[in-house]
Amino acid sequence: MKPRTFGYFLREALHGLVRNRLMTITALGIITIGLFLFGIFLLLTANLRYFTTLAWKEVEVRVFLQPSVTDPATVGAQLATLPGVAKITFVPKAEGAATLERLFGQQGTLFLNDENPLPDAYTLSLAEKADPQEIAKLATAVPGVEEVICGQDFVEFLEMIIQLTLIVGLILLTLTALAVLYIVVNTIQLTVYARRKEVEIMKLVGATDSFVRWPFLLEGIILGLLGAGLAFLLLSKGYGFLVHRLRLYRRFLPLLSGGEFQTHLMVALFTMGLFFGGFGSHVSLKRYLKV
Amino acid sequence: MLIAKDLTKIFSNGVVALDQVSLTVQKGEFVFLVGPSGAGKSTFLNLVIRRDNPTSGLIAVNQQNIAFLKKKEIALLRRSIGVIFQDYKLLPQKTVYENVAFALEVIEARTRAIKERVYTVLELVGLLGKAHVLPSELSGGEQQRVCLARSLVNKPLLLLADEPTGNLDPDTSWEIMELLREINRRGTTIVMATHNREIVDQMRKRVIALDHGKLVRDTPKGGYHLEA
Repeated sequence: MKPRTFGYFLREALHGLVRNRLMTITALGIITIGLFLFGIFLLLTANLRYFTTLAWKEVEVRVFLQPSVTDPATVGAQLATLPGVAKITFVPKAEGAATLERLFGQQGTLFLNDENPLPDAYTLSLAEKADPQEIAKLATAVPGVEEVICGQDFVEFLEMIIQLTLIVGLILLTLTALAVLYIVVNTIQLTVYARRKEVEIMKLVGATDSFVRWPFLLEGIILGLLGAGLAFLLLSKGYGFLVHRLRLYRRFLPLLSGGEFQTHLMVALFTMGLFFGGFGSHVSLKRYLKV
Repeated sequence: MLIAKDLTKIFSNGVVALDQVSLTVQKGEFVFLVGPSGAGKSTFLNLVIRRDNPTSGLIAVNQQNIAFLKKKEIALLRRSIGVIFQDYKLLPQKTVYENVAFALEVIEARTRAIKERVYTVLELVGLLGKAHVLPSELSGGEQQRVCLARSLVNKPLLLLADEPTGNLDPDTSWEIMELLREINRRGTTIVMATHNREIVDQMRKRVIALDHGKLVRDTPKGGYHLEA
């Protein structure tokens, strides 16, 4: 294609958008709303994943020592070297009893009488993506270790939640994308229908399909990118406002923030906008090219 | 220039629009295609510019069988044929100049060539002074001249006219006919479908009559009716 011809297509696309203002505004509005919804689901999914990642960081492995161990620090030194262990915290048996009392009141210490049968223990904090069950297995093999508890149920529950979040998120995103694509194709089809006479005349004077298609394709792409820009603006401002308003509840409701995530959101929205606009125009035009 | 042999078109609803039509139009001829509504005149023209496919038979333009063409070849065929329509088919948002230039834009002609050619044909049809006016600001006759200018801008060897005077008053119709006669005199072959009896009778050109899809008469220098 000659550069002059591309210039002609671009000029025609821009003229088309300006000339058919009402349809342009309608299509732009629908694409923006669609991408906005898509962005909301994207934010929801990303935050759910963020939340489960944070919860994963809370997973700890509790290692109880044998009562015969006289030097817990030696065992602790070995536990600290295990792969996947980020930090170890010593919990002496007196602290264990105090924790029981804090949790269950006097009932918690009734059985203790004067003697404290609780063993000394270590709490192992895990490095990112470390497998608690694997660490528990390794810790059991360390001399002086009596028992290891890794919160198996909680770990399994968390893994299930992560998987579920991923699947549900993907399904929701796909459904939203399909719904938005359907609406966008129909909207662009309306704009093409309004200009079917123009397409017919172009074909009758000898325009090839690609010559007819290009200005419409560029119009769709421009609409898609503009819609993505508007949706991104609304989402980033709205989400920023939400994060700011909920900052006091951050401990209970942690929300993603930061520039990197914004970049991801922008890339996703602009890619979808480009695809929706381009593909929407391509599909919409197909039937009117049969002249 | 144009050959049809046993050309038949049957629509999907069973209507026989053309039934075994055979004719030959020589280069430089001016031919009227006459007949009542539904006789098959527009169908014939649509087959020539490949808006439709023939059901059977042969149709050739410039010695090329156009019954089976690829999409790209159809576009090339249309560039070699000028067409004028009863409803003008102008783009309302484009000026007279842009409407005419459009036919050259699609073949990616150079800007200077487009400018020269458009002004030449606008001068020929007498619309040089209205180059930058929108079609809605023109009379019916002027709009038909724009359509004519657009059909001529590619220097076609064959010009098809589908009821070009159908929406015009008698005086304006004659203005258009004078233009067509001049264009024909310069060497362009013209096939014109019309109901306008007066024009056909006075022009004394070749007349091909269709009725119910059949070719019923082919008279050199004939009139609208058989007796004329």
